[in-house]
Amino acid sequence: MFLGKVVGQVWATKEVPDLRGKRLLVVEALDDMDDPGAPKVTPVIAVDPVGADVGEHVMVAFGKAARVACGGDGDLAYEAAIVGIIDDVHAPGAPSSWRPGAYTGDRGAGEA
Amino acid sequence: MHVATVIGTVWSTKKDPTLEGLRFLVVRPFTTDGKESAETLIAADPIGAGIGERVLVVHGRAARHAIGKGHDIGFQTAIAGIIDTMDLADGRRIGGHVDSDERAPESSD
Repeated sequence: MFLGKVVGQVWATKEVPDLRGKRLLVVEALDDMDDPGAPKVTPVIAVDPVGADVGEHVMVAFGKAARVACGGDGDLAYEAAIVGIIDDVHAPGAPSSWRPGAYTGDRGAGEA
Repeated sequence: MHVATVIGTVWSTKKDPTLEGLRFLVVRPFTTDGKESAETLIAADPIGAGIGERVLVVHGRAARHAIGKGHDIGFQTAIAGIIDTMDLADGRRIGGHVDSDERAPESSD
């Protein structure tokens, strides 16, 4: 489970049945955002059952926790899901980029 | 679940019996700034991806479920989808194929 920022969305037509109709968001871990010039790590693609938007900070769960959060019984073909949208973080010493805000996404625009 | 580019195919004759009939691809994860990872992964492919295509890769139980041969097989990485496009917050769009990258800057939408 980690804190991340939604940086994009993935579209796929040819996919396993479990992923059909699922909203797939690109999430980057917040630790990487301290230095904007730092090399990017490979992002996590998470199923989004809660309706997060691009630019928002989220909690991502893995494994069975992710599948249960998506309403499954644990047998689904994905292992990462957004389980919460972060309102605020209080962590003394953490970089200011950890604080949610300054959304880059136009809320509601991507819901169609 | 990660995003990766298919860079090759693997053939294996002598292998664990639970892996008979599976198709294996070499995939290389990539980052949102368009850089390829140094590591490569071998993923079972139940949906038919081709070289150069961008794919979704799942791990563990999710991968075995995607492969569809039950949970008692000796493999833990699989392709779960072929990416059409990836829209990023800064307005960039990563295409579904490595060849689409050159064209991407020209499209204005």
